[in-house]
Amino acid sequence: MARIELRNIVKRWGPVFGVRDVSIDIADREFLVLLGPSGCGKTTTMRMVAGLEYPSSGDILIDGRRVNDLEPKDRDVAMVFQSYGLYAHLTVYENIRFPLRVRGVPAAEHDRRVREAARMVELGSLLDRKPKALSGGQRQRVALARAIVRQPACFLMDEPLSNLDAKLRVSTRAEIKHLQQTLGVTMIYVTHDQVEAMTLAHRVAVMEHGVVRQLGTPTEIYDDPADIFVAGFIGSPAMNLVRGAAQDGVFHAPGLSLPLPQHITRGDLVLGVRAEDLGVCAPGEGQFAADIFSIEPLGDSTLVNIKPGGALVTARVAKDYRGEAGANTGLRADPALFYLFDGATGARLRLTGQGRI
Amino acid sequence: MSIDAVRDPDAPRRPGERLATYAAFLFLCLFAVYSAFPFFWTLLTSIKEPVDAFATPPVWVFDPTLSHYASLWLDRGFGWYFLNTAIVTAGTLLISIPIGAIAGYALARYPGRLGFWLLILALVFRALPRTAILLPFYQISRSFGIYDTHILLILVLVSINQPFTIWMMRSFFMTIPAEIEEAAMVDGCSRFKAFLKAIVPVMWPGVITTSLFTFLLAYNEFLMPLILTATKATTLPVAISQFGAEDIRFWSLSAAGAISITLPVVALILIFQKRIVGGLVQGAVKG
Repeated sequence: MARIELRNIVKRWGPVFGVRDVSIDIADREFLVLLGPSGCGKTTTMRMVAGLEYPSSGDILIDGRRVNDLEPKDRDVAMVFQSYGLYAHLTVYENIRFPLRVRGVPAAEHDRRVREAARMVELGSLLDRKPKALSGGQRQRVALARAIVRQPACFLMDEPLSNLDAKLRVSTRAEIKHLQQTLGVTMIYVTHDQVEAMTLAHRVAVMEHGVVRQLGTPTEIYDDPADIFVAGFIGSPAMNLVRGAAQDGVFHAPGLSLPLPQHITRGDLVLGVRAEDLGVCAPGEGQFAADIFSIEPLGDSTLVNIKPGGALVTARVAKDYRGEAGANTGLRADPALFYLFDGATGARLRLTGQGRI
Repeated sequence: MSIDAVRDPDAPRRPGERLATYAAFLFLCLFAVYSAFPFFWTLLTSIKEPVDAFATPPVWVFDPTLSHYASLWLDRGFGWYFLNTAIVTAGTLLISIPIGAIAGYALARYPGRLGFWLLILALVFRALPRTAILLPFYQISRSFGIYDTHILLILVLVSINQPFTIWMMRSFFMTIPAEIEEAAMVDGCSRFKAFLKAIVPVMWPGVITTSLFTFLLAYNEFLMPLILTATKATTLPVAISQFGAEDIRFWSLSAAGAISITLPVVALILIFQKRIVGGLVQGAVKG
C-alpha cells in the first residue's frame, strides 16, 4: 500500500541541475515508468525516492508522510539495481535473507519467506550458489527475490533489464509485470527503452533535461505527444519529422509541398507523421515522392525509406511489399494523422482543433 | 580477450615459433639465476667460515656451519632487534591499515573536488625526500621525550606510509560498485552498517595486499630508525648494517643476519601469494 507524491522536486549539484521541478502523483498499485535518454534525471528522481539522494528542494511523500529526511531503510521501499548489487560473499539464500536479518524479522519466519520469494522467481534450485556462479538472468532473479522477500510498499527498479540479452529481456519483462500485478505493489521503473515503457507501464513519465515532458498512459504519449521530443523519442521507427513552413494551408519544405487539412499560415513548423500512417502509392499520387533510399524488411512488416529534399521519411508497409532501391515511389497519409510542432520551442501545435492539428 | 590469447597451449606450433619459445624460456631461466645470484651468494656466505667465504677463486665445497646464526641470535641479541622490528611493524600496520581503509573508502565514494585535493596533498607528502623530514622528526622526538622508543618509530612510519595505504585502499574500493552498499541501505542498513555488512566482507583482498606492502615498507625501513633510535628501539636493518662494518670476519655474520631478516618475508609472500596477485589485479583492472 503506497501512494507516492513528488512535489516540485529539484536536485542540483552546484550550478548543475539533475532534476528541475518534477511533480508526479503515483497512485497505490500503479506501475509508473520514468523514461528518457541518459542524463535526463530519471535515475536521480528514483534515487531520491529511495533516499540515496536528497532533493535540493521539494517534498517526497509516501502515503502522505514526508520522507525527505528519512534514511533509505526507514522508507519501506525495495530497489533492484542495474547491476543488481548482490552481496558476492553470500549465497543466494543469504542474499535473499539479508533484508530480513538486518530488519530484525523473527528468525522463525526467515526460511519460509526466503523460499517463497525464491519460488516466485523460480530460483529454488540455486539457493546454495554464490552470485559469481550465476548467469546474468539468474542474478537478476536474486535481486528481484531480495526485493520481494520484504513485502515492501513500493518497488523501485533501475534499468533492471539492461544487462540481459534480448531474448531474456522479453521474458523477464513479462515476469516483472506479472509480479507487480500479483503482489499489488506500487512500482517505479526507470528505463531508456521505450518498448519496456510502453509494455509495462500504467503511466509513463517521459523526461528530458531533468523535466517531465509528458506524463500519461502509453497510448496517450504515443498517439498524443505533448512536444517534439516525446514524439521523436516514442515509437520505433521514430516519428518522421520534417522542418518547413505553412502557407495558405500548404506545408512547404525542401522538395515537398503537401496540403494540410486546414487553412494554416505559419513559419518555422515541424510536421510529424508516424511510419505506420504512411502507405506506398504511385509516384505523384501521394504527398511525398522520391527515389527509394533503402528498404528494410523486419519480418512482420517492411520499412521503406525515402529522402525527399534531404530529411529521411520512413513508411511501415506490409511485409509482402516488393520494391527496388532507387525506384521512384510515392508515400501517402491521411492529413488528419499529421502532427504539427513549433519549430522554435518544439511545442505541439493544435491550430484548428480538428484531427491532430 | 582475443581468440589468440585463449588458444590451446598444446596446439601444434610452427617450428620458428617453437624455437622462439625455447629461446625466451632459456633467457628467462638465465635471467632468474642472474637475479637470484646475490641472494644465493649471501646464503652461501652465511653458512661458510670467513676463510672459505672470501677465498679466491670461490670455494664450492666446504663444511656448512650454522655458527654465525647461533652467534647472531644468541650472543649478539638479534632476538632483541627482531622483537623491536616486530613491535614497530605490527604497530604501524595496526594503525595505518584501519585509517587507510576508512579514508580510502571515503575518498572512493566522495564525489566532490575536495577529495581530489586531499589525495594530491597526500601524494605531495609522500614525495618529500625523507632526509628533509628527518631532522624535524628528530628534534620533535627529543622535545617530546620519545626519542629511541617504539612509539616514535610507529608514529613516524605511519605518517610516512599513510598516503600510500590511503591511495591503495582507495583504488581498491573504487573497484567495488557503490550499488552493493546502496542495496544494503535500502535493504535496511544504516550507512555505517552497510559498510560493515556489505563492504567489509569483500574488502579483505585489498586489505591483505595493502598490509603486505605496508609491512615491507615498515619492516625494511632503514633511515628513520638509524637516526631516531640509539639502543633501545633499534630495528633489524640498522642492526645488520652495524654487524658488517667492523671487519671482513663479520661479513658472514652480516650475511646470516640478512638471511634471517629475509626468511619471514619470503614465508609471508608464499602464504599470501594468491591473495597478493588477486589484490594487485583487482586494483589494476575493473572486474
